[in-house]
Amino acid sequence: MLNEHDIRTQLQQIPYPGSRHDIVTLGLVGSIALQGNNVVVHFRPSSATPDMLQRLTNTITTALSALSGIGNVSVHTGRPTGPAARPGPVAAPSKTPLPGVGKVIAVASGKGGVGKSTVAVNLAVAINALGYRVGLLDADVYGPSVPLMMGTEAVPRAAHDKKVFPVEKYGISLISMGFFLDDQSPVIWRGPVVMGIIRQFLRDVLWGELDYLLVDLPPGTGDVALTLAQEIPLNGGVIVSTPQDVALLDVNRGISMFRQVHVPILGVIENMSYYLCPHCGEREEIFGHGGTAKTGLEILGEIPLVEEVRTGGDAGKPIVLQHPDHPVSQAFRTLATRVIQASSLSLQ
Amino acid sequence: MPIPALIIPLMDETALRILWDDDQVSTYPFSYLRGWCPCASCQGHGGERHFIQVKNPQLESIGPVGNYALNLRWGDGHDTGIYSFEYLRTLSEQLDELNENGAKG
Repeated sequence: MLNEHDIRTQLQQIPYPGSRHDIVTLGLVGSIALQGNNVVVHFRPSSATPDMLQRLTNTITTALSALSGIGNVSVHTGRPTGPAARPGPVAAPSKTPLPGVGKVIAVASGKGGVGKSTVAVNLAVAINALGYRVGLLDADVYGPSVPLMMGTEAVPRAAHDKKVFPVEKYGISLISMGFFLDDQSPVIWRGPVVMGIIRQFLRDVLWGELDYLLVDLPPGTGDVALTLAQEIPLNGGVIVSTPQDVALLDVNRGISMFRQVHVPILGVIENMSYYLCPHCGEREEIFGHGGTAKTGLEILGEIPLVEEVRTGGDAGKPIVLQHPDHPVSQAFRTLATRVIQASSLSLQ
Repeated sequence: MPIPALIIPLMDETALRILWDDDQVSTYPFSYLRGWCPCASCQGHGGERHFIQVKNPQLESIGPVGNYALNLRWGDGHDTGIYSFEYLRTLSEQLDELNENGAKG
Protein backbone atom coordinates (compact mmCIF):
# COMPACT_ATOMS: atom_id res chain seq x y z
CA MET A 1 0.00 0.00 0.00
CA LEU A 2 1.36 3.39 -0.98
CA ASN A 3 1.70 6.12 1.57
CA GLU A 4 2.44 9.81 1.45
CA HIS A 5 6.01 9.26 2.53
CA ASP A 6 6.72 7.08 -0.52
CA ILE A 7 5.31 9.76 -2.77
CA ARG A 8 7.39 12.51 -1.17
CA THR A 9 10.53 10.39 -1.38
CA GLN A 10 9.89 9.86 -5.05
CA LEU A 11 9.28 13.58 -5.63
CA GLN A 12 12.51 14.40 -3.82
CA GLN A 13 14.32 12.95 -6.82
CA ILE A 14 13.01 15.78 -8.98
CA PRO A 15 15.23 18.87 -9.10
CA TYR A 16 13.71 22.25 -9.91
CA PRO A 17 14.74 22.97 -13.51
CA GLY A 18 18.03 24.84 -13.58
CA SER A 19 18.78 23.97 -9.96
CA ARG A 20 20.26 21.11 -7.96
CA HIS A 21 17.61 21.61 -5.25
CA ASP A 22 14.61 19.31 -5.37
CA ILE A 23 11.03 20.48 -5.47
CA VAL A 24 10.10 18.96 -2.08
CA THR A 25 12.98 20.49 -0.12
CA LEU A 26 12.39 23.84 -1.81
CA GLY A 27 8.81 23.73 -0.56
CA LEU A 28 7.19 23.86 -3.95
CA VAL A 29 5.21 20.69 -3.22
CA GLY A 30 2.38 21.41 -0.82
CA SER A 31 -0.15 18.83 0.26
CA ILE A 32 -0.32 15.30 -1.11
CA ALA A 33 -3.65 13.50 -0.97
CA LEU A 34 -4.10 9.76 -1.40
CA GLN A 35 -7.45 8.28 -2.22
CA GLY A 36 -6.97 4.58 -2.54
CA ASN A 37 -4.26 4.30 -5.14
CA ASN A 38 -5.00 7.65 -6.70
CA VAL A 39 -2.75 10.51 -5.77
CA VAL A 40 -3.27 14.26 -5.92
CA VAL A 41 -0.25 16.53 -5.59
CA HIS A 42 -0.73 20.25 -4.88
CA PHE A 43 1.84 22.89 -5.70
CA ARG A 44 2.29 25.73 -3.27
CA PRO A 45 1.61 29.18 -4.72
CA SER A 46 4.90 30.48 -6.04
CA SER A 47 6.42 32.67 -8.68
CA ALA A 48 6.84 29.70 -11.04
CA THR A 49 5.32 30.41 -14.45
CA PRO A 50 2.42 28.32 -15.79
CA ASP A 51 4.82 26.86 -18.38
CA MET A 52 7.22 25.82 -15.68
CA LEU A 53 4.43 24.25 -13.63
CA GLN A 54 3.20 22.34 -16.66
CA ARG A 55 6.70 21.04 -17.28
CA LEU A 56 6.98 19.95 -13.65
CA THR A 57 3.53 18.35 -13.79
CA ASN A 58 4.69 16.14 -16.65
CA THR A 59 7.86 15.19 -14.78
CA ILE A 60 5.91 14.39 -11.62
CA THR A 61 3.33 12.30 -13.45
CA THR A 62 6.07 10.26 -15.12
CA ALA A 63 8.02 9.83 -11.89
CA LEU A 64 5.01 8.75 -9.83
CA SER A 65 3.64 6.43 -12.48
CA ALA A 66 6.82 4.41 -12.06
CA LEU A 67 5.76 3.51 -8.50
CA SER A 68 4.16 0.11 -8.30
CA GLY A 69 0.52 -0.02 -7.38
CA ILE A 70 -0.20 3.59 -8.21
CA GLY A 71 -3.50 4.64 -9.76
CA ASN A 72 -4.26 8.02 -11.28
CA VAL A 73 -1.84 10.86 -10.72
CA SER A 74 -3.10 14.41 -10.85
CA VAL A 75 -1.22 17.56 -10.10
CA HIS A 76 -2.96 20.74 -9.05
CA THR A 77 -1.18 23.88 -10.04
CA GLY A 78 -4.01 26.16 -8.98
CA ARG A 79 -3.99 27.90 -5.69
CA PRO A 80 -5.62 25.90 -2.91
CA THR A 81 -8.40 27.62 -1.03
CA GLY A 82 -8.43 28.41 2.66
CA PRO A 83 -6.06 30.40 4.83
CA ALA A 84 -3.00 28.65 3.39
CA ALA A 85 -3.83 30.24 0.05
CA ARG A 86 -2.41 33.59 1.03
CA PRO A 87 -0.56 35.62 -0.04
CA GLY A 88 -2.29 36.57 -3.24
CA PRO A 89 -0.27 37.24 -6.32
CA VAL A 90 3.32 36.10 -6.03
CA ALA A 91 4.81 37.74 -9.02
CA ALA A 92 8.35 37.03 -10.03
CA PRO A 93 10.29 39.59 -11.99
CA SER A 94 9.00 38.88 -15.46
CA LYS A 95 10.62 39.55 -18.79
CA THR A 96 7.33 40.36 -20.53
CA PRO A 97 5.80 43.17 -18.52
CA LEU A 98 3.53 44.66 -21.15
CA PRO A 99 1.36 42.27 -23.13
CA GLY A 100 2.46 42.07 -26.75
CA VAL A 101 5.45 44.33 -26.25
CA GLY A 102 8.88 42.87 -26.96
CA LYS A 103 11.83 44.84 -25.69
CA VAL A 104 11.59 48.09 -23.82
CA ILE A 105 14.56 50.41 -24.23
CA ALA A 106 14.95 53.72 -22.42
CA VAL A 107 16.65 56.65 -24.12
CA ALA A 108 18.18 58.76 -21.39
CA SER A 109 20.61 61.59 -20.93
CA GLY A 110 22.25 63.02 -17.86
CA LYS A 111 21.57 66.59 -18.93
CA GLY A 112 19.16 68.45 -21.15
CA GLY A 113 19.72 69.81 -24.61
CA VAL A 114 21.82 66.99 -25.96
CA GLY A 115 19.23 66.09 -28.59
CA LYS A 116 17.79 63.11 -26.82
CA SER A 117 14.32 63.38 -28.36
CA THR A 118 15.81 63.94 -31.81
CA VAL A 119 17.82 60.78 -31.38
CA ALA A 120 14.82 58.86 -30.00
CA VAL A 121 12.57 59.86 -32.89
CA ASN A 122 15.12 59.06 -35.59
CA LEU A 123 16.12 55.84 -33.88
CA ALA A 124 12.47 54.74 -33.76
CA VAL A 125 12.02 55.46 -37.46
CA ALA A 126 15.31 53.75 -38.34
CA ILE A 127 14.47 50.60 -36.36
CA ASN A 128 11.06 50.54 -38.04
CA ALA A 129 12.76 50.83 -41.43
CA LEU A 130 14.65 47.62 -40.61
CA GLY A 131 11.30 45.85 -40.49
CA TYR A 132 10.45 45.92 -36.77
CA ARG A 133 7.25 47.17 -35.15
CA VAL A 134 8.18 50.12 -33.00
CA GLY A 135 6.45 52.21 -30.36
CA LEU A 136 7.70 55.47 -28.91
CA LEU A 137 6.64 56.58 -25.46
CA ASP A 138 7.45 60.22 -24.83
CA ALA A 139 8.07 60.19 -21.09
CA ASP A 140 9.22 63.79 -21.03
CA VAL A 141 5.97 64.94 -19.47
CA TYR A 142 7.28 68.42 -18.72
CA GLY A 143 8.48 69.22 -22.22
CA PRO A 144 6.99 66.72 -24.65
CA SER A 145 8.58 67.26 -28.06
CA VAL A 146 7.78 64.01 -29.83
CA PRO A 147 4.45 65.30 -31.32
CA LEU A 148 6.25 68.22 -32.99
CA MET A 149 9.16 66.12 -34.20
CA MET A 150 6.84 63.45 -35.59
CA GLY A 151 4.53 66.02 -37.12
CA THR A 152 1.28 65.01 -35.49
CA GLU A 153 -1.18 66.67 -33.20
CA ALA A 154 -3.69 63.86 -33.29
CA VAL A 155 -5.65 63.03 -30.17
CA PRO A 156 -5.35 59.41 -29.07
CA ARG A 157 -8.60 57.54 -29.67
CA ALA A 158 -10.40 56.24 -26.63
CA ALA A 159 -10.87 52.50 -26.29
CA HIS A 160 -12.84 50.42 -23.81
CA ASP A 161 -12.05 50.40 -20.07
CA LYS A 162 -10.59 53.91 -20.04
CA LYS A 163 -7.76 52.80 -22.29
CA VAL A 164 -6.47 54.63 -25.34
CA PHE A 165 -4.96 53.70 -28.67
CA PRO A 166 -1.56 55.19 -29.45
CA VAL A 167 -1.31 57.69 -32.30
CA GLU A 168 0.15 56.19 -35.48
CA LYS A 169 2.57 58.22 -37.57
CA TYR A 170 5.17 57.04 -40.08
CA GLY A 171 4.41 53.49 -38.94
CA ILE A 172 5.35 54.26 -35.33
CA SER A 173 2.92 53.96 -32.40
CA LEU A 174 3.23 57.12 -30.34
CA ILE A 175 2.07 58.36 -27.00
CA SER A 176 3.02 61.69 -25.49
CA MET A 177 1.76 64.10 -22.88
CA GLY A 178 1.78 66.59 -25.73
CA PHE A 179 -1.29 64.86 -27.18
CA PHE A 180 -3.26 65.75 -24.05
CA LEU A 181 -2.13 69.35 -23.54
CA ASP A 182 -2.57 72.53 -25.46
CA ASP A 183 0.54 74.31 -26.64
CA GLN A 184 0.63 77.13 -24.14
CA SER A 185 -0.09 75.68 -20.74
CA PRO A 186 3.00 75.02 -18.67
CA VAL A 187 3.22 71.62 -17.08
CA ILE A 188 3.47 72.08 -13.34
CA TRP A 189 3.18 68.77 -11.59
CA ARG A 190 4.60 67.21 -8.52
CA GLY A 191 6.37 63.87 -8.56
CA PRO A 192 3.40 61.64 -7.64
CA VAL A 193 1.30 63.02 -10.50
CA VAL A 194 4.11 62.41 -12.95
CA MET A 195 4.54 58.88 -11.65
CA GLY A 196 0.83 58.28 -12.18
CA ILE A 197 1.06 59.45 -15.77
CA ILE A 198 3.99 57.19 -16.55
CA ARG A 199 2.08 54.25 -15.09
CA GLN A 200 -0.91 55.10 -17.27
CA PHE A 201 1.26 55.41 -20.36
CA LEU A 202 2.54 51.91 -19.70
CA ARG A 203 -0.66 50.18 -18.62
CA ASP A 204 -3.54 52.08 -20.20
CA VAL A 205 -2.20 52.44 -23.72
CA LEU A 206 -3.13 49.61 -26.06
CA TRP A 207 0.30 49.22 -27.60
CA GLY A 208 -0.65 46.13 -29.57
CA GLU A 209 2.12 43.93 -30.91
CA LEU A 210 5.49 45.68 -30.82
CA ASP A 211 9.03 44.43 -31.22
CA TYR A 212 10.52 47.50 -29.57
CA LEU A 213 9.14 50.16 -27.32
CA LEU A 214 11.47 53.14 -27.00
CA VAL A 215 10.98 55.42 -24.04
CA ASP A 216 12.18 58.98 -24.41
CA LEU A 217 13.03 59.97 -20.83
CA PRO A 218 13.22 63.53 -19.57
CA PRO A 219 16.77 64.70 -18.83
CA GLY A 220 18.33 63.74 -15.54
CA THR A 221 17.69 61.07 -12.99
CA GLY A 222 14.33 62.08 -11.54
CA ASP A 223 10.89 60.64 -10.84
CA VAL A 224 10.14 59.54 -14.36
CA ALA A 225 13.28 57.49 -14.81
CA LEU A 226 12.84 55.86 -11.41
CA THR A 227 9.14 55.13 -11.91
CA LEU A 228 9.86 53.54 -15.24
CA ALA A 229 12.63 51.39 -13.80
CA GLN A 230 10.34 50.29 -10.98
CA GLU A 231 7.20 49.65 -12.98
CA ILE A 232 8.60 47.45 -15.71
CA PRO A 233 11.75 45.42 -16.22
CA LEU A 234 13.56 47.53 -18.80
CA ASN A 235 15.56 45.53 -21.29
CA GLY A 236 18.15 48.21 -21.68
CA GLY A 237 19.03 51.85 -21.61
CA VAL A 238 20.98 54.00 -24.02
CA ILE A 239 22.50 57.29 -22.96
CA VAL A 240 22.67 60.25 -25.30
CA SER A 241 25.44 62.75 -24.76
CA THR A 242 27.47 65.41 -26.47
CA PRO A 243 31.25 64.96 -26.54
CA GLN A 244 32.32 67.65 -24.10
CA ASP A 245 33.38 66.84 -20.57
CA VAL A 246 30.66 68.80 -18.81
CA ALA A 247 27.97 66.67 -20.39
CA LEU A 248 29.97 63.64 -19.44
CA LEU A 249 29.76 64.49 -15.78
CA ASP A 250 26.00 64.08 -15.96
CA VAL A 251 26.23 61.01 -18.15
CA ASN A 252 27.99 59.30 -15.28
CA ARG A 253 25.02 60.05 -13.05
CA GLY A 254 22.76 58.47 -15.63
CA ILE A 255 25.01 55.44 -15.75
CA SER A 256 24.97 54.95 -11.99
CA MET A 257 21.20 55.29 -11.92
CA PHE A 258 20.76 52.51 -14.46
CA ARG A 259 23.27 50.36 -12.60
CA GLN A 260 21.45 50.82 -9.31
CA VAL A 261 18.17 49.61 -10.73
CA HIS A 262 19.85 46.80 -12.71
CA VAL A 263 19.02 48.09 -16.15
CA PRO A 264 21.64 46.92 -18.64
CA ILE A 265 23.32 49.89 -20.31
CA LEU A 266 23.53 49.17 -24.01
CA GLY A 267 25.90 52.03 -24.70
CA VAL A 268 26.33 55.71 -25.38
CA ILE A 269 25.16 57.66 -28.40
CA GLU A 270 27.33 60.67 -29.12
CA ASN A 271 25.12 63.37 -30.59
CA MET A 272 26.43 66.58 -32.18
CA SER A 273 29.58 64.56 -32.41
CA TYR A 274 31.11 66.93 -34.99
CA TYR A 275 29.93 69.66 -37.32
CA LEU A 276 29.68 68.59 -40.89
CA CYS A 277 30.27 71.75 -42.92
CA PRO A 278 27.62 71.94 -45.63
CA HIS A 279 29.96 73.94 -47.89
CA CYS A 280 33.24 72.11 -47.81
CA GLY A 281 32.17 68.82 -46.19
CA GLU A 282 34.88 69.23 -43.57
CA ARG A 283 34.48 67.77 -40.10
CA GLU A 284 34.74 70.29 -37.28
CA GLU A 285 34.83 68.93 -33.71
CA ILE A 286 33.31 71.92 -31.96
CA PHE A 287 32.50 70.05 -28.76
CA GLY A 288 35.85 68.33 -28.63
CA HIS A 289 36.41 64.68 -29.20
CA GLY A 290 36.51 61.46 -27.28
CA GLY A 291 34.61 62.64 -24.20
CA THR A 292 32.07 59.86 -24.31
CA ALA A 293 34.78 57.24 -24.75
CA LYS A 294 35.90 58.10 -21.22
CA THR A 295 32.76 56.50 -19.84
CA GLY A 296 34.21 53.12 -20.78
CA LEU A 297 30.88 52.21 -22.36
CA GLU A 298 30.37 51.09 -25.90
CA ILE A 299 29.83 53.97 -28.31
CA LEU A 300 26.79 52.87 -30.28
CA GLY A 301 26.91 55.71 -32.74
CA GLU A 302 28.22 59.18 -33.53
CA ILE A 303 25.65 61.54 -34.97
CA PRO A 304 27.09 64.66 -36.63
CA LEU A 305 25.63 68.14 -36.17
CA VAL A 306 23.94 69.16 -39.40
CA GLU A 307 21.16 71.58 -40.12
CA GLU A 308 18.88 69.01 -41.74
CA VAL A 309 18.49 67.16 -38.46
CA ARG A 310 17.12 70.30 -36.85
CA THR A 311 14.87 71.27 -39.77
CA GLY A 312 13.57 67.71 -39.97
CA GLY A 313 12.60 67.92 -36.31
CA ASP A 314 10.91 71.29 -36.65
CA ALA A 315 9.08 70.23 -39.80
CA GLY A 316 7.80 67.09 -38.15
CA LYS A 317 9.56 64.71 -40.48
CA PRO A 318 12.67 63.01 -39.07
CA ILE A 319 15.74 63.28 -41.29
CA VAL A 320 15.84 59.50 -41.69
CA LEU A 321 12.56 59.83 -43.63
CA GLN A 322 13.09 63.22 -45.20
CA HIS A 323 16.63 62.65 -46.51
CA PRO A 324 17.19 58.88 -46.40
CA ASP A 325 20.46 59.20 -48.34
CA HIS A 326 21.97 61.82 -46.06
CA PRO A 327 25.08 60.61 -44.16
CA VAL A 328 23.24 61.34 -40.91
CA SER A 329 20.39 59.04 -41.91
CA GLN A 330 22.97 56.40 -42.65
CA ALA A 331 24.46 57.00 -39.19
CA PHE A 332 21.01 56.51 -37.61
CA ARG A 333 20.45 53.25 -39.49
CA THR A 334 23.82 51.96 -38.32
CA LEU A 335 22.87 53.06 -34.83
CA ALA A 336 19.55 51.19 -35.09
CA THR A 337 21.36 47.98 -36.02
CA ARG A 338 23.81 48.39 -33.14
CA VAL A 339 21.04 49.03 -30.62
CA ILE A 340 19.16 45.94 -31.78
CA GLN A 341 22.30 43.84 -31.50
CA ALA A 342 23.15 45.21 -28.08
CA SER A 343 19.63 44.62 -26.78
CA SER A 344 19.64 41.00 -27.93
CA LEU A 345 22.91 40.41 -26.15
CA SER A 346 21.60 41.90 -22.94
CA LEU A 347 18.99 39.16 -22.69
CA GLN A 348 21.73 36.52 -22.18
CA MET B 1 24.19 40.11 -9.25
CA PRO B 2 22.00 37.04 -8.58
CA ILE B 3 18.26 37.38 -9.11
CA PRO B 4 15.46 35.17 -7.77
CA ALA B 5 14.64 32.15 -9.92
CA LEU B 6 11.75 31.04 -7.70
CA ILE B 7 9.91 32.70 -4.84
CA ILE B 8 7.79 30.61 -2.49
CA PRO B 9 5.97 32.01 0.53
CA LEU B 10 5.83 29.25 3.13
CA MET B 11 2.67 30.24 4.96
CA ASP B 12 2.80 27.35 7.47
CA GLU B 13 6.35 28.16 8.47
CA THR B 14 5.71 31.94 8.19
CA ALA B 15 8.80 32.34 6.07
CA LEU B 16 9.68 33.39 2.56
CA ARG B 17 11.93 31.15 0.52
CA ILE B 18 13.92 32.38 -2.46
CA LEU B 19 15.82 30.16 -4.85
CA TRP B 20 18.42 32.40 -6.53
CA ASP B 21 19.69 31.89 -10.03
CA ASP B 22 23.14 31.04 -8.64
CA ASP B 23 21.36 28.11 -6.91
CA GLN B 24 21.62 29.51 -3.41
CA VAL B 25 18.50 29.11 -1.27
CA SER B 26 17.50 31.72 1.31
CA THR B 27 14.71 31.28 3.84
CA TYR B 28 13.58 34.42 5.63
CA PRO B 29 11.23 34.30 8.63
CA PHE B 30 8.48 36.89 8.09
CA SER B 31 9.31 38.63 11.38
CA TYR B 32 12.90 39.02 10.21
CA LEU B 33 11.93 40.46 6.83
CA ARG B 34 9.35 42.78 8.33
CA GLY B 35 11.79 43.85 11.02
CA TRP B 36 14.46 44.84 8.53
CA CYS B 37 12.03 46.63 6.21
CA PRO B 38 14.21 49.06 4.25
CA CYS B 39 11.62 51.81 3.76
CA ALA B 40 12.21 55.31 5.01
CA SER B 41 9.36 55.27 7.51
CA CYS B 42 10.88 52.20 9.19
CA GLN B 43 14.53 53.17 8.85
CA GLY B 44 14.40 56.96 9.04
CA HIS B 45 17.15 59.03 7.56
CA GLY B 46 19.77 58.81 10.26
CA GLY B 47 21.81 56.15 8.53
CA GLU B 48 21.50 53.79 11.46
CA ARG B 49 19.59 50.59 10.80
CA HIS B 50 16.63 49.76 12.99
CA PHE B 51 14.88 46.49 13.59
CA ILE B 52 11.11 47.01 13.75
CA GLN B 53 9.50 44.56 16.11
CA VAL B 54 6.14 43.42 14.73
CA LYS B 55 4.20 40.63 16.36
CA ASN B 56 3.35 37.78 13.97
CA PRO B 57 3.61 39.75 10.74
CA GLN B 58 1.67 38.16 7.89
CA LEU B 59 2.75 38.46 4.29
CA GLU B 60 -0.11 39.60 2.07
CA SER B 61 1.46 39.82 -1.34
CA ILE B 62 4.71 40.11 -3.24
CA GLY B 63 5.19 42.22 -6.31
CA PRO B 64 8.11 42.77 -8.63
CA VAL B 65 9.85 46.14 -8.79
CA GLY B 66 11.51 46.57 -12.16
CA ASN B 67 14.60 44.42 -12.59
CA TYR B 68 16.01 44.84 -9.17
CA ALA B 69 13.70 44.41 -6.21
CA LEU B 70 10.59 42.97 -4.58
CA ASN B 71 7.83 44.94 -2.93
CA LEU B 72 6.30 43.18 0.08
CA ARG B 73 2.86 43.97 1.42
CA TRP B 74 2.17 43.00 5.03
CA GLY B 75 -1.03 42.15 6.85
CA ASP B 76 -1.02 45.47 8.70
CA GLY B 77 -1.16 47.27 5.34
CA HIS B 78 2.50 48.28 5.41
CA ASP B 79 3.70 48.15 1.81
CA THR B 80 6.40 50.76 1.32
CA GLY B 81 9.37 48.39 1.61
CA ILE B 82 11.25 47.88 -1.63
CA TYR B 83 13.67 45.01 -0.97
CA SER B 84 16.41 45.15 -3.57
CA PHE B 85 17.98 41.82 -4.51
CA GLU B 86 21.29 43.07 -3.10
CA TYR B 87 19.59 43.86 0.18
CA LEU B 88 17.89 40.46 0.32
CA ARG B 89 21.25 38.76 -0.23
CA THR B 90 22.76 40.82 2.58
CA LEU B 91 19.89 39.81 4.87
CA SER B 92 20.44 36.21 3.86
CA GLU B 93 24.12 36.35 4.83
CA GLN B 94 23.18 38.01 8.08
CA LEU B 95 20.74 35.17 8.79
CA ASP B 96 23.38 32.55 8.04
CA GLU B 97 25.72 34.21 10.53
CA LEU B 98 22.99 34.31 13.16
CA ASN B 99 22.21 30.65 12.62
CA GLU B 100 25.88 29.69 12.83
CA ASN B 101 26.41 31.61 16.06
CA GLY B 102 23.22 30.12 17.45
CA ALA B 103 24.46 26.63 16.65
CA LYS B 104 27.74 27.28 18.44
CA GLY B 105 25.96 28.04 21.60
